Amino acid sequence: MPSNWGYVLAAYGIAAVALLSYWRHLARRTRALATRRAAKPRSA
Amino acid sequence: MTRALGWLTVVGLAAGLAAGFGYAPREAVQGNVQRIMYLHVPAVLTAYLAFVLVLLGSIAYLATRRPGWDRLAAAAGEIGVLFTGLTIVSGSIWGKPTWGTWWTWDARLTSTAVLFCVYVGYLLLRSLIEDPEARARYAAVVGILGAVNIPIVHFSVKWWRALHQPSTILGPERSPIDPAIGLALFVNWVAFTLLFAYFLSRRMEIARLEEQT
Repeated sequence: MPSNWGYVLAAYGIAAVALLSYWRHLARRTRALATRRAAKPRSA
Repeated sequence: MTRALGWLTVVGLAAGLAAGFGYAPREAVQGNVQRIMYLHVPAVLTAYLAFVLVLLGSIAYLATRRPGWDRLAAAAGEIGVLFTGLTIVSGSIWGKPTWGTWWTWDARLTSTAVLFCVYVGYLLLRSLIEDPEARARYAAVVGILGAVNIPIVHFSVKWWRALHQPSTILGPERSPIDPAIGLALFVNWVAFTLLFAYFLSRRMEIARLEEQT
């Protein structure tokens, strides 16, 4: 059986990109909502 | 708390990579391509966990009408779709060198694809309904019905003749896996569970902020 390292790297590479992208999406969304909340005038 | 969980997850994932690529031996039959298992199996176990939480959150929402349960179900559903997608992609990449094909309409693969489509539908439904109460109610019904797929995916290799191998981790018999490979798999499963808990915590915080703004 050949090593097939290319397949292993492809699987882990795609997983890393997907997980990091989701983490960045969550971080950006949290920052945007926190900024919007801070800018919102408080009601009396 | 979430920050500490995040760092714990980073340590867990690093330990998982070290276990999968350093500690675990090269598999005798498949060679190094078997190392995809340390990604593929924890990803599907995490997806199961996520969809079970969707089920529990949906039942609890319908019983109590408390929005926190809906937030839990929504967050878990989104993360479950991510991990099911990773399961399908990593399985497909693993399938090419071992089965000679990227995809086949095998019972396990097909039922997993159906599971993925059901929960993508669940997320689409949530995005289409504006009224929060109606959205939570309809989504809870889909979240409960969608969970029927989880045992179908898991037992598909038992119920139908499949190309996919039978369960070795959650099977009824003692696992035949080599102890070193089993330990590497366990470390990666713990790391993925930590990652899931971290994502869930952050996603629920976003849902809470969305309700307040």
